[in-house]
Amino acid sequence: MSGPRPGARRAGRWAVVGAHLVDGDGDHGVGDVLIESGEIRAVGEGVGAAAQTSIDAGGALLTPAFLDLHAHLREPGQEVKEDLASGLAAAAAGGFGTVVSMANTTPTVDEPGLVGELVEKARRLPGARLRPGAALSHGLRGETLTDFAALQAAGAVMITDDGMPVADGRLMRSACEYAAELGLIVQTHSEDPSLRGDGVMHEGAVSQELGLPGNPDAAEAVMVFRDCEVARLTGARVHIAHVTSRRAMEVIEHFKALGAPVTCEVTPHHLTLTDAALRGFDPVFKVAPPLRSDADVAYLREALRRGTVDSIGTDHAPHTRAEKDRDLTSAPFGLPNIEVAFPVLYTRLVASGELGLDGMLRLLQDGPAAVMGWPRPRLQAGAPADLVLLDLETERTVDPTRFASKAKFSPWAGEPLRGWPMLTVVGGDVVFRLEDAAA
Amino acid sequence: MTATVQIALTEKTRARRRNLLDFAAWSSDEVAALFGTADVMAQVLTRTIKKVPALQGFTVGTLFFEDSTRTRLSFERAARAQSADVISFAAGGSSLSKGESLKDTLRTIDQMQADLYVVRHPTAGVPYQLTRWTDAAIVNAGDGRRAHPTQALLDAYTFRNRFEGFDGFAGKRLVIVGDVLHSRVARSNVELWRKLGGEVVLCGPPPLLPPELAPGVRHSHRLADAVEGAHAVMALRLQRERMASGLLPSVAEYVARYQLTARALRSAADGALVMHPGPINRDVEIAGDVADGPRSVIETQVASGVPIRMAVLYTLLVGKR
Repeated sequence: MSGPRPGARRAGRWAVVGAHLVDGDGDHGVGDVLIESGEIRAVGEGVGAAAQTSIDAGGALLTPAFLDLHAHLREPGQEVKEDLASGLAAAAAGGFGTVVSMANTTPTVDEPGLVGELVEKARRLPGARLRPGAALSHGLRGETLTDFAALQAAGAVMITDDGMPVADGRLMRSACEYAAELGLIVQTHSEDPSLRGDGVMHEGAVSQELGLPGNPDAAEAVMVFRDCEVARLTGARVHIAHVTSRRAMEVIEHFKALGAPVTCEVTPHHLTLTDAALRGFDPVFKVAPPLRSDADVAYLREALRRGTVDSIGTDHAPHTRAEKDRDLTSAPFGLPNIEVAFPVLYTRLVASGELGLDGMLRLLQDGPAAVMGWPRPRLQAGAPADLVLLDLETERTVDPTRFASKAKFSPWAGEPLRGWPMLTVVGGDVVFRLEDAAA
Repeated sequence: MTATVQIALTEKTRARRRNLLDFAAWSSDEVAALFGTADVMAQVLTRTIKKVPALQGFTVGTLFFEDSTRTRLSFERAARAQSADVISFAAGGSSLSKGESLKDTLRTIDQMQADLYVVRHPTAGVPYQLTRWTDAAIVNAGDGRRAHPTQALLDAYTFRNRFEGFDGFAGKRLVIVGDVLHSRVARSNVELWRKLGGEVVLCGPPPLLPPELAPGVRHSHRLADAVEGAHAVMALRLQRERMASGLLPSVAEYVARYQLTARALRSAADGALVMHPGPINRDVEIAGDVADGPRSVIETQVASGVPIRMAVLYTLLVGKR
């Protein structure tokens, strides 16, 4: 097949032709998208005729590439788990054009120089765009504030100690006061450390049955309440990461009703898996906050339908297989999912009829853009050519050995899913093509 | 001739075996048969020569990632009394802390070709995880808070042998008192006792007896109420860490409300037995005179450990499915 190769810089004009065009403004029918110099030049029927080369979409769905405000790319220092090259390639394979990286690396991304290095390095890599997050406290220790203004100047778009809750309420308040003044988003990993204790899974009937230390939903709800109060008090925009429980979601609904500047995220795994998955004692299912009960999952889905949820973030958290072959106490928290996030969500929530496709796309496009205050991604002339072509029909089995991520395992391994990205374009360059990945 | 021998030696000779991880895959009839085998083993142990060749040629590996001299000795005695070879591995988590995964540890040890591993680990689920990486049989000798099936077997076996006029577990009430939350002994006893048709009551201070634990089992926070009509009362060991971690106010408070005393046992059924998985904290969870008293079968429990574990090893290695 002709057309640009993955990651290839493409000179001249090229086009995706014969695609079903959908964006946040609605369904635009079948047409072409003409691309030049990293931007969309024209959209509509027949505009592809002006291109020097083209890719035939065959009627598949073309839409703006997804935005992920929450991924652990592990660089610097944890390259055995993932690095920028593998992480950004994995994001591209998942249809994501932009990724916000988390700062819990070695060393922690808590200095402007480290942010600058990430930005520079990512610029030269094919794959999704990197917009780095930076730590709220030095070393994620929750003791002293990092220099938000300098981090922002270096390219950080978000302040977060994700992975570690900010236990000290006074520190959280100061962080929000600074962030509000600078217009930075504070993302929180909201769990009360003392209530969470040594829990490795959701506390409930299943944890008692399995004899594993539990982490109660109250640990999340209590901290979400505090973080929402601090947002209200300071006016800072606080984005609550990975909400997992009904209780925490109800707290957020309460504060949203008051008009507090709070937004929230849920993850693909918390929407599709429950604590019952731990019955097989596989540490792949050990995540923080934990997979919750059926009732919690049902409530999160209800919140999606009602529009309480602002964005879906993957919380892609790769580890080595050996780390996940430990016991459930010593295995680390987190699972890789960025490559299968959309197929999982599409198959389980959209194809099943629970949520419309437009609603799902909003959570991956306009939703996260609004959280960050970025322009809403659109298929229109002048917009960046960040696109994903989705095959909503063909069922393919999840095969982690083919992941671009270094973490070649998955909770969904072997499961047949639909909604696979076939082509991802970032800044006019093809950064992923399914036929190449499958070759 | 030489070629034939080589083939025989390189062939994988271990078929996939049955495990004892908990009682989910065991029927009450199978447990009853196990008790029958234990009776035979108990006979062997009364002979002058306390050894039979039943497991000659088999190798039993003990993998203890957590210290437990008593349980390990009991299993090793049970293996050797049947002429099995024993290899012991005491990790205490040391090699794992250097970054070796559980899988790597097992794969290395598994090169010694044991037929069965007896596994103790501080984290729930480890014996279950190990079944994915070896064809050898796995016996759970205690995993975290989850299960300690041979302890529950020897507890039920002791009750069967010592309760006067025993006519089955139906209608028999076992009351377990103490730190139920952290107790694999309690969880395994609940599972087995109910499987055998008996009734269980759990008793302890609220932080150590969460409501979600053991659905369908009666909970009580008052010792006197819990013990009423009991046919066996089992006290659990109270760890001092529970006070330090803020779960309980003090030893004195616990003793005042939950210590198994002669007075507390007054409302139990006639002939009720007093049990404890050991080692006891004398005069903490159980009054010294009760531990030493006529109703106590604590020493019988320890003695039952060897024939029960002999029966488990025998059943898993050579017993019929």
